[in-house]
Amino acid sequence: MRLIAAALFLVFLLLLPAFAYSDIVARVMPRGLSGASLLNVFLLIFLFGYLAQCWNILGGFAGQLSLGHAAFFGIGAYTSTLLFTIFGLSPWIGMILGMSLAGLFGLFVGFVSFHYRLVGPFFTLATIAFAELVRLSALHLKFTGGSMGVLIPLQGDSVWQFQFSGKAPYYYISLFMLVAVTALIWRIARSRLGYYLHAIRQDEDAAEAIGVNTRKYKLIAATLSAALTGAGGTFYAQYTQYIVPDDILTVGLSVEIILRAIIGGSGTVLGPVVGSFLLTPIAEATRVLFSGAGSGAAVVQLFASDATLAKKLSGYFSFLVGGGGGGGALMLYGLILIFTCLVMPSGAVPWFERRARR
Amino acid sequence: MTGRLLEASDITVRFGGLVAVNAVDFRVDKGEIVGLIGPNGAGKTTFFNVVSGFCRPHAGSVSFRGVDIVGLKPHLISRMGLTRTFQIVKPFPDMSVLENVMIGAFSVHPAAKDARLAAMKALELVEFADWAHRRAGELPVAGRKRLEVAKVMACEPDLILLDEVMAGLTPAEHNEMIETVRAIRASGVTVIIIEHVMPVIMSLCDRIYVLHHGELICEGPPGKVARDPGVVRAYLGEEFAL
Amino acid sequence: MNSVVLSQTVVSGLLLGGVYALVAVGLTLIFGVMKILNFAHGDFLMLGMYFAFLLSIMFGIDPYISAVLALPLFFGLGWIVQSCLIRPVLRAPENIQILLTVGLSLFLQNLALFLFSPDFQSLRVSYGGNTVSIMGVSISYVRFIASMIAVAASLTLYLFLARTDLGKALRACAEEHLGSLAVGINVDRMYNIAFGLGIACVALAGILMTPFFYISPQVGLPFTLTAFVVAVLGGLGSLPGALIGGLIIGLIESLGELFLLAPSMKQMATFSVFLLILLLRPRGLFGGKLT
Repeated sequence: MRLIAAALFLVFLLLLPAFAYSDIVARVMPRGLSGASLLNVFLLIFLFGYLAQCWNILGGFAGQLSLGHAAFFGIGAYTSTLLFTIFGLSPWIGMILGMSLAGLFGLFVGFVSFHYRLVGPFFTLATIAFAELVRLSALHLKFTGGSMGVLIPLQGDSVWQFQFSGKAPYYYISLFMLVAVTALIWRIARSRLGYYLHAIRQDEDAAEAIGVNTRKYKLIAATLSAALTGAGGTFYAQYTQYIVPDDILTVGLSVEIILRAIIGGSGTVLGPVVGSFLLTPIAEATRVLFSGAGSGAAVVQLFASDATLAKKLSGYFSFLVGGGGGGGALMLYGLILIFTCLVMPSGAVPWFERRARR
Repeated sequence: MTGRLLEASDITVRFGGLVAVNAVDFRVDKGEIVGLIGPNGAGKTTFFNVVSGFCRPHAGSVSFRGVDIVGLKPHLISRMGLTRTFQIVKPFPDMSVLENVMIGAFSVHPAAKDARLAAMKALELVEFADWAHRRAGELPVAGRKRLEVAKVMACEPDLILLDEVMAGLTPAEHNEMIETVRAIRASGVTVIIIEHVMPVIMSLCDRIYVLHHGELICEGPPGKVARDPGVVRAYLGEEFAL
Repeated sequence: MNSVVLSQTVVSGLLLGGVYALVAVGLTLIFGVMKILNFAHGDFLMLGMYFAFLLSIMFGIDPYISAVLALPLFFGLGWIVQSCLIRPVLRAPENIQILLTVGLSLFLQNLALFLFSPDFQSLRVSYGGNTVSIMGVSISYVRFIASMIAVAASLTLYLFLARTDLGKALRACAEEHLGSLAVGINVDRMYNIAFGLGIACVALAGILMTPFFYISPQVGLPFTLTAFVVAVLGGLGSLPGALIGGLIIGLIESLGELFLLAPSMKQMATFSVFLLILLLRPRGLFGGKLT
């Protein structure tokens, strides 16, 4: 039954680009959204779902809470982009090289952390430190473009150069990546690797005692997770054609990646996917519903002025209703994350499954 | 067929100023059930930790099947055929009983299908197969102990170290566990068992080692140990029925 | 290398370090008593800043007065946050505890963004430009005051923990949870107090900085990270450690700015030091006891 629903949904997703630009859709959608932005929303759902799945391998299955995955994302993006802008190397090959470099960095971070027995919050802190070092390096080094980032020159449609003028090809690539990585997770979950990682997450000593080489498997998880995340970075670079440290190497991005996995259900096969479908539309919805960032300076002036208290308050109220200074979606994300931790720490998917069993 | 399975000599473990285990010698031959007893804090679990690779001794050597194992990681020692249970049992709470045991089975059968079959067999050995699909986190104490034994048996070891498997069990459950340990020996596995419950030790073991304040104060068959004045003193004059 | 420039750098580093110390003291107190790493720590600093800012532009209240008002308010806020959000996850796996405070951080940052917009604000005071001369070095008056108050607050907290009965109870909870319960200490209340004190400290630190530091919704994150570095350097859970660690990190950053080529390099130096400590000596300088 569920399989049929999933298959139908997949067919819907596959056909979406075909009618995204049609009149029907244009009439149904709220103002401010076009067919292209509809595809963009789904594309972001797929991309963040993909990234969350990659994180899931290390953070969900192996239980090692990494808040530094933006570094792997950024390494993938910068590697393929710089190889393209400097040497003209096809971004597809750049993606493979980017994955290798990201994977190597993941292996390094993992090796160092596990060798020095960093666990729990200390491991998390170390991943943040490593990621910040990567971000600061990108800001500092000349050939990475510093704080201005790197621009990928527009060259029109070219499969070999991983550039398309329309959204549809990107849409399908990201959908493919999401489906492929989910299939990979599904296979891992049913294999010895998956079982071992789950055991390591719950009790490393107990796993060691019955023959699990916990060090080796944690390193496998770290490397695989990092490498796959790097591929996502290349995709993003080719899609937006502009990469800059403040966008792709921040702790904030790392948090957004793990949000989908945690809220959907970390350590499950579908959790990150469900999480992404639940969360990403919220961001887009608030972006559309609110007219945009108001001016903080105007508000400050209003409050510092001699206007009556009532006038100040009503002025402020309309500022807020218009979306305030922005950040509405992320505020909601924060609340949802808090709610998840308090009420359903295993995430939405296990919660629903438990309900369904009763 | 007998043979020296485990040989430990002069094992010494220090934690800061405290000597937890002091120059202990220990040997086990294939097919035996050997007991390790002593008052609380005597160093028994620490000794197990040394033998299973969770703790590095400051002095002494341990050889298993003729191979020196001091300094090896626990998973390697486990793969060589020596596994242990934990005094405070450590199930994987979010997995089912069967999946728990599969973790052990995977060290012998890399393919999930084979591991699942082997795990069922191990559960049948400890007579816990009916609980295969229960969540390990929901098990009562007796069930957790049984699961712990099944996990270890699924590794198809030559020697297992059972750390207080009887603790927390009712007398009826003791008898069941005794039968399980006998079944384990019958299946060809050698057993070292730490226990506090005297009747269990006396009826199960071929030989017993007694530790007190980290030192070996007696070694021999149950009858000899029960009558040893030093042992009686160590237990503060406790009398045990034979 | 000019000796005046050098002594200027050292002094400003120590001053900065004093404020860092107060921020880290709050974090380390919370960790010491409850074993929780508050990833939202810097965001309470940010809230303190906005509190002082609002009082200033709406009622013209001087930040140092706001600081006094803020102490009980933020203590209460910390108490409430502990009771409602932290207490439920004290028994949960560590990852969930981390994620809860991450969620809190995300919420607070974006709440501030929503309410106040991303524009940088600053709080102007009439004496903001004054300088003071200490041992031949000319320092900004407001930075000097901030540092002095920060260090005084840290020392007061230390004395409180070391000398008073309540402080003793807190230390008992930090060291031995079950034992404290057994002797009748209301551990729950201790946790509320510890968290409240921690938040009050960090909000105070923020307010002290308003005369010379920019205010924005995102100002918290770098301070959270710095607080971690300082607290780990000093030894998580050690108050003297946080104090000394703060001064050291302040010095490193100040000297780093002087000797290294670019501002981002000085941050890299901080994070590299952080990693080295995490890996090589995670107990930091002073190990783990509160006093």
